[in-house]
Amino acid sequence: MTRIVVPIGPQHPALKEPVNFRVVTDGERIVDLELNLSYSHRGIEKAAEQRDFIRVLPLIERVCGICSHSHATVFSKGIEEIMGVEIPPRAQYIRTIIAELERMHSHMLWLGVAAHEVGFNTLFMWTWRDREAVLDTLEELSGNRVHYNMNEIGGVRLDLSPSQVEAALARMPVLEERIRAYVGMVEDEETMLTRFRGVGSLSREEALSFGAVGPTARASGVDYDVRKDDPYLVYDEIPWNVVTDTNGDVYGRTKVRIGEIAESLGIVRHCLENLPGGPIRAEAPKAAPPGEILSRYEAPRGEVAHFIRTNGTARVERVDIRTPTLANWTSVAHCLIGRPLADVPVIVAAIDPCLSCTSRITLVKSGGDLGKDAPPPNGPRGWSR
Amino acid sequence: MIEPLTLDGVANAVAGVAGAVDKASTNRIRVRTTREGLRDVIRRVQWLLPCDRLVSISTVDTTESIELHYHLIGQHRTVVTVTVELPRDAPEIETVSDLLPSAALYERQIHDLFGVVFRGHPGLTRLILNDDWPRDEHPLRKDWKPVAGTFYGGAGRRGPG
Amino acid sequence: MTDPFLLIAYILLFPGFLFLFAYSMTFEFLDRRIVARMQNRVGPPFFQPFADLVKTLGKEVIDPRGVDRPIFDAAPVVALAAVMTSFLYVPIIGPSPLAFQGDLVLVLYLLTLPTLALMLLGWLSRNIYAAVGGIRAVTMLFIYEVPFFLALMMPTLMAGTWSISDIMAWQEEHLCLAILQPIAFIVALIGLQAKLERTPFDIPEAETEIVAGPWTELTGRRLALMHLANETSAVVGSALIAAVFLGGLAFPWTVESAILSATVGFLLFLAKTVAILLVLSIIRAATARVRLDQLNTIGWKYLTMAALAQVGIVLVMMASGVGI
Repeated sequence: MTRIVVPIGPQHPALKEPVNFRVVTDGERIVDLELNLSYSHRGIEKAAEQRDFIRVLPLIERVCGICSHSHATVFSKGIEEIMGVEIPPRAQYIRTIIAELERMHSHMLWLGVAAHEVGFNTLFMWTWRDREAVLDTLEELSGNRVHYNMNEIGGVRLDLSPSQVEAALARMPVLEERIRAYVGMVEDEETMLTRFRGVGSLSREEALSFGAVGPTARASGVDYDVRKDDPYLVYDEIPWNVVTDTNGDVYGRTKVRIGEIAESLGIVRHCLENLPGGPIRAEAPKAAPPGEILSRYEAPRGEVAHFIRTNGTARVERVDIRTPTLANWTSVAHCLIGRPLADVPVIVAAIDPCLSCTSRITLVKSGGDLGKDAPPPNGPRGWSR
Repeated sequence: MIEPLTLDGVANAVAGVAGAVDKASTNRIRVRTTREGLRDVIRRVQWLLPCDRLVSISTVDTTESIELHYHLIGQHRTVVTVTVELPRDAPEIETVSDLLPSAALYERQIHDLFGVVFRGHPGLTRLILNDDWPRDEHPLRKDWKPVAGTFYGGAGRRGPG
Repeated sequence: MTDPFLLIAYILLFPGFLFLFAYSMTFEFLDRRIVARMQNRVGPPFFQPFADLVKTLGKEVIDPRGVDRPIFDAAPVVALAAVMTSFLYVPIIGPSPLAFQGDLVLVLYLLTLPTLALMLLGWLSRNIYAAVGGIRAVTMLFIYEVPFFLALMMPTLMAGTWSISDIMAWQEEHLCLAILQPIAFIVALIGLQAKLERTPFDIPEAETEIVAGPWTELTGRRLALMHLANETSAVVGSALIAAVFLGGLAFPWTVESAILSATVGFLLFLAKTVAILLVLSIIRAATARVRLDQLNTIGWKYLTMAALAQVGIVLVMMASGVGI
């Protein structure tokens, strides 16, 4: 059969965000792949250099729509560390609660998307319905469904009232039951298993050398989790486990994510039940002393790293954002070569790609037509090996 | 879990190929080196400490030079940052993408935004910027400002052809 | 029914084209409603499929650049015509007035035409998604058609006739063929699901891989007619399986008045087809899409083997006189 170039994206039903793959297939099998991910740049890193910390936080929060709290927390954590500000325990607990609720809703969203990619729309509808319960909780606690805007340098913006805590706790049993249902579905539904098992396999060595992070790496038996490795907030005080799996394929990643939903639920419940009293913010100076920090954080998709340098003013000298999706791309390209075309959506979705956060950096929105006069091919051999 | 790395341990491992070694923060050790020594240091950090994963390559434009920070981590869960300074007028350095496959994407990104050239990179093409972005403008450099009248791509005005 | 007026009424009105059209709309409504309820959604109102059809019919028809227009226009019409013709040979209340020895073969081949039209559309669309989808549709045809045909041929073996109406009549004297040949019945149901390109066999139109497959470049009335062809083949397929396998499930008491008897027969037909639709809808809601290579394994390794095993069982049964 002759080789066919199948363009996937930037507008394609499988992709929820703009990215472009030019998949070269031999019949149904992928033999080569070109990647273009620069469609939604907003110049956040440059813009962050022009604003003071108070104005940077909402901006940083908008790096990503799903892990908005992650980026805001990792940034304020870094700035607080440079300033030497210790945030009060109650604020740490509240940050943890929001962070874990965010992880729950992100993984539920992913599970739905993954099911949709293989045409299993029933699971998609169910998970997204149950995700609403998490989003409602987040809305009750923070006032917003997506961009919670809970962080400020030195603490959190809003306190939780006892009735809010009670209402949030009341939702937990239902969610617990739903998570059990998902575990059953993922392990029993044959057609879904045939699409997930053995697809996108990544060995432990490959996962490490391709720099995979988060559930993608943990499904291959890599037990890196910033929450355990470099504990921040209250993760060293509360009981929880790093979820790993040895399957290394999409099935493994699904299992890891469902396991993490359950773990997150436990963390949220523990934090809500043991919420300490006291103030919710510490007095933070306006300007940060000159310094530099590599602030790391375990976002739902994996490790987020902010490299922050301050210069004694109320603005950052430089903030370098490394998002989990960029770290995972190399492994995706490796997984795709040699697979049937039908596996593209599954493998791409399995890392839970968040493309807008990956390509956040430049200033002019790229609207370039990359169709016919595309650049010379930069196949996976060009950048993954 | 392996014990965290100590300052002395890192200093011993990179002795002879690197400059100053200091503690950047509680969980991070910085190794300074030159662009000639970079690959040796990375190799030693990779094999002797050992570090098995590249966290990120951070870049800072300090207006005097361009700094590259290679953050590596291993089972010891200590971040080792290898720092190199490059002159702003000719920022060139050997690639490490053959030692660390995941570096290739970060290097493309840095090449795009700071104009750093990674010699020996298998495909140093645009990753972040659009293809009709001017070749010699690197937006994350401190002194970059959009030049009025320059075409930065997008749907507004098409270039010739 | 030799009266030409009655025959024309049979073909055009009831239970011919008009009924087929109305029933296929109802079928689509039921299908969408059942799946929606299983997915915890509300689902569309009763007239939604009809409204969709009318709306799509009125939309602008866009020609992809360089397309062969006459064939592109003709393919959906041919597909719809083939399905509508095949419906005339399927017994609804009593035996079909057009029945002849071998109409089962004719119906099966007419039901294959929509797939071929789909392949043609995909190939002619000059669109990479459509072309890949068209190839997939034909590849799939070779996989499911063999067990599907084998399963539907088995009743002929037992009943000793090639006419659907005769097979139905045979079952009323003997036993229901779904009971006598359960494996063939299940294989036929799965084959029908594949023929209608519904999950888990919606490989040619896998949304997340190739957008809409051969449907990608269809617009306006082409899309509407192709869609109608698909819906009507769901009705014809269900009616065919109902007649061939569930023909024995007749009303146990004889009803005096001829009109009343016809009504009862008609209601039975509705019940049987809706029951088959229910099974198909539940399969659609409860499964994920398989891959083409996995379907190859399912089709040849399991379905064809099961159908062949059923042939063996039927031959043994006939030799020993069980069920006859």
